[in-house]
Amino acid sequence: MKKLTQREKLFNFGISVLALGAFPLIWFLSQAILFRELTEIVSRNVLVVIGIIVGSSFVFLLFNGMERLIRLAPRERRDSLEARMFAGPSLFMIGLFLFYPAIRTIYLSFKDRYGKSFNGVENYSWAFSDTEMLVTIRNQIVWLVFVVFFTLLIGLIVGWLSDRLNKGEAFFKSIVFMPMAISAVGATAIFKFIYEYRPPPLTQIGIINGIRVSAGEKCSNNRIIEGVLNDYADPSCNRAIGWLQQRDLSNLQIGETLESGGWLSNLLVNFPLNTVLLLVIMIWAYTGFAAVVFSAGIKAIPADIMEAGQIDGASEIRIFLSIVIPYIKSTIIVVGTYMVVTVLKAFDIIYVSTRGDLETNLLAVKMLDEFSKYRNIGRSSTVAVIIFVCVIPIILGHALREKESNSL
Amino acid sequence: MTRNNQKWYDKPFTKLILIAIAITWIFPIFGFLLSSFRPPEAIKRTSWWESLYTGEYWTELTLQNYSEVFFAENLSRSFYNSLAITIPSTIIPITIAAFAAYAFAFMDFRGKNFLFMMVVASMIIPLQMSLIPLVQLFKSGIELGGITIIPALDINGTFVATWFAHTGFGLPLATFLLRDFMMGLPRSVIESAKIDGASNMTTFFKLVVPLSISGIAAFATFQFLWVYNDFLVANVFLGVYKPENLVVTSHMSQIVVGLFGEAWHLRLSGAVISMIVPLIVFFSLQRYSIRGLIGGAVKG
Repeated sequence: MKKLTQREKLFNFGISVLALGAFPLIWFLSQAILFRELTEIVSRNVLVVIGIIVGSSFVFLLFNGMERLIRLAPRERRDSLEARMFAGPSLFMIGLFLFYPAIRTIYLSFKDRYGKSFNGVENYSWAFSDTEMLVTIRNQIVWLVFVVFFTLLIGLIVGWLSDRLNKGEAFFKSIVFMPMAISAVGATAIFKFIYEYRPPPLTQIGIINGIRVSAGEKCSNNRIIEGVLNDYADPSCNRAIGWLQQRDLSNLQIGETLESGGWLSNLLVNFPLNTVLLLVIMIWAYTGFAAVVFSAGIKAIPADIMEAGQIDGASEIRIFLSIVIPYIKSTIIVVGTYMVVTVLKAFDIIYVSTRGDLETNLLAVKMLDEFSKYRNIGRSSTVAVIIFVCVIPIILGHALREKESNSL
Repeated sequence: MTRNNQKWYDKPFTKLILIAIAITWIFPIFGFLLSSFRPPEAIKRTSWWESLYTGEYWTELTLQNYSEVFFAENLSRSFYNSLAITIPSTIIPITIAAFAAYAFAFMDFRGKNFLFMMVVASMIIPLQMSLIPLVQLFKSGIELGGITIIPALDINGTFVATWFAHTGFGLPLATFLLRDFMMGLPRSVIESAKIDGASNMTTFFKLVVPLSISGIAAFATFQFLWVYNDFLVANVFLGVYKPENLVVTSHMSQIVVGLFGEAWHLRLSGAVISMIVPLIVFFSLQRYSIRGLIGGAVKG
């Protein structure tokens, strides 16, 4: 390869800088400014149409412009420049939208509420001493335990059993998988309708309270007939319960029987019922995902291994425990890892149902509340860092295990 | 063992458990969907199962709730906003990621492995770590030691802020998945195209993109569903205070939030409307969407 002159080197360097930094930056700024101005000028409907068409295609201008520029470069340099140009915008955006913010959030977590002056580890000591934060952390743990356990368990059951059907496998799997397509906001609306509580004597329209109050011979749900209160319900009938306000087991029969007792019943009396009822929504939404992944794993088990188990006379449950589970262990770990990370970032369900009140808060909701409600940048960043720190070891452990199994 | 050859006692039991689970999973939607067709006062007067039992349900069927939430409550505007957010937020990251994936799969450049490692590493950064700095960036730019790197843009509350945010959050996964997919393409075809003198641009558009279309579709369905169903990013970058900035999820969240809300007819019909698009996308592209959602398992 011939030696480049100083001039050519400078030229190449200039183009590299342009392709990697300046061009994505120009694209970023021009799209931002263009649409900011458009928002002011044009009506909403026009903006929606322009947004869909121009907003989507603007990015092609970026690559087109860079391509034209690279044609100016000497032929032998073009290939490596082109590689940078292809990869540049992706790296630029990842850097600007993930790495830079992550570093800045860590930095902000040591600052005061305005993000101005440092206040040491004050935010962190707040995070682990404030009563509300402690409840939030407790809830996060409850969510992790219940959601991960039940999605994996039910997912395994559905994946394993549906695999053994002659027909209808796809049908069962898509029913359980369907909630995955629905937004968490929609799913929360669905479950709020189930948990709905209305103060008596109004008719209970949520099915749990509806069944509860009409259980028993003299009890009835419909207590207003043609506008007249028809209170024929017996005092012995069950009363409706505001499920999402139920932060423990009081008001419930089981709670009353537990009232006096040892540590176990004390623990049970404080069972965070509303939190558990809310995390059910997430189990409902994610079990299908687990089931589909497990089912793919189970299908990959060689038939002769299962056959051997069957010839040896192992029972179905035995085959499940001693062949299926060990065989798809790594898949279970992958799904479990994913669920842990997803639960740590769970936001919509709580935000839409209780807004974090009534001791149901989660970290991601707390993070946003500290930011937009209490306007405390420092504390909000601290909560984000806590989520991040919880995620790292889980994913790193997973990556290490991957590497190990690949090198074997 | 063929899968048909199972012990006689297994099958009914298997089916029973599966049917029980399927009913449990469908049941919440069932009552919800049925109730959405009842008049507002009927929803409050009697429970849906009682109205089914007495037969009163069938005499009162109405689409009134749907027209009310869509037009009077203006969910239609939020719906168009959702499309204006979702379509660019799907196309932009896929385009950028496809170019990058091509570079990582078929081209050589210095620092390639290191840079790809950075892409993979960025997947572990949770969304929450980006929110505050990005809000600040979109408002007042970046200044480092007195030098303005990015000027004040003041784009919070506009579509473009949300497109950028979704692009940034979707890119690591998109780049990773598409590179993985392109690595699986026959290398010889791409190399022979290059020998025939095709430029990288031509190879990319004429050969690699058409061959990767199912990988692209898988990610596209995932990203579409993710953005359409997203509430957090819309909440932070678009805001929930200006009604003209609402998308379907943030609009629905305003209707759904509150402990003793009585607007059940709007909640029911609105939530059903909000589910229609993702369910259509999901079932019509099921082949891709399941793969996309599973591939999306690692999204930050």
